[in-house]
Amino acid sequence: MTSKDLVLESAPDRNDRFERDALVFMDQLYAAALRYTRNPEDARDLVQDTYMKAFTSFHQFEEGTNLRAWLYRVLTTTFINSYRKKQRQPLIAHNELEDWQIGQVQSHTSDQGKSAEVQALENLPDSDIKNALQELPEEFRMAVYLADVEGFSYKEIAEIVGIPAGTVMSRLHRGRKLLREKLADYARELGYTTGTAGFTDTTDTTDATDATDATDTTDAKEENS
Amino acid sequence: MSLFGAERIGCPEVLASLVFIIEDAIEQVERPQDIQSHIELCPNCSRELEHERLTRTFLVDALRRACSEKAPESLYESIQSQLMGTNAATEVVTTFSMTEISIEIDEFGNVEHREIQIEETHVQHMTFDDELPGGPTS
Repeated sequence: MTSKDLVLESAPDRNDRFERDALVFMDQLYAAALRYTRNPEDARDLVQDTYMKAFTSFHQFEEGTNLRAWLYRVLTTTFINSYRKKQRQPLIAHNELEDWQIGQVQSHTSDQGKSAEVQALENLPDSDIKNALQELPEEFRMAVYLADVEGFSYKEIAEIVGIPAGTVMSRLHRGRKLLREKLADYARELGYTTGTAGFTDTTDTTDATDATDATDTTDAKEENS
Repeated sequence: MSLFGAERIGCPEVLASLVFIIEDAIEQVERPQDIQSHIELCPNCSRELEHERLTRTFLVDALRRACSEKAPESLYESIQSQLMGTNAATEVVTTFSMTEISIEIDEFGNVEHREIQIEETHVQHMTFDDELPGGPTS
């Protein structure tokens, strides 16, 4: 007699394990889904789809590895494969890496800009912070969110999003910069910045002469400190 | 030696590498040692790194504070009931099969061979309503 009732033993156990271990991340996944989709209805659907997909492929998940990262991977791929299509906007350019490491002029931030930035970050209302994040292009928004809110390492983000580690770095760099610029705009509206310069003086439009000027002035200050 | 290194690597290159230092991934950049020694020698760049670290801390705090929505209770309920619906649909298939083979040789040496296959499949729909609180509505 051959009996195949192994299923009887493992399925309910697996279901229990899923309920016990995976459902606790629902709030986190929902907050992430809000960032991805930018509206509560889609976020709801995305989280629901994510859990159903995760449940049906839960047997593929290796116990002992990072369940939270795995769930974020399911969430992110589900979003990329289905939800993004209907809300798709022009995305950032392909050669993003060269773009920021080679093509862009980098210069130092003024001390005044620095203190104003930190002060603004402490005082900006949540709604401004959320809005600024919403305004970021999707790739940057995801990377910054996964790193700075969820605390994933760049290697984990590379796995979650399915991109090379170098691309994660460039997205983090540019995403944070862009976010800070946007926050500076909100802060300026609230009257936080004192000087004419914003938080960062490394905008994409910075030309070579501006950069040289900035370096010269900071070089001069150097002797005082 | 290291002063020479500091001259060879410019501030723009170092500033572009700050994200790697912050992410604890300095090994990902080219010439990490030159970057490090430049930072040690260049007050502007070291101040910039310090500022980046500080800003990141504040940015992380601000973002975490702002993005801490809770999933609506209804979402929790609908996921749970959908999961239980999936559980309820779990089928346990038990297959029993038996083959009876008989060979008869009569007095003239003729061989008669017979095979009887008996198969029984039992499909059981499992529901776990009893075990889990709040059963599915469907």
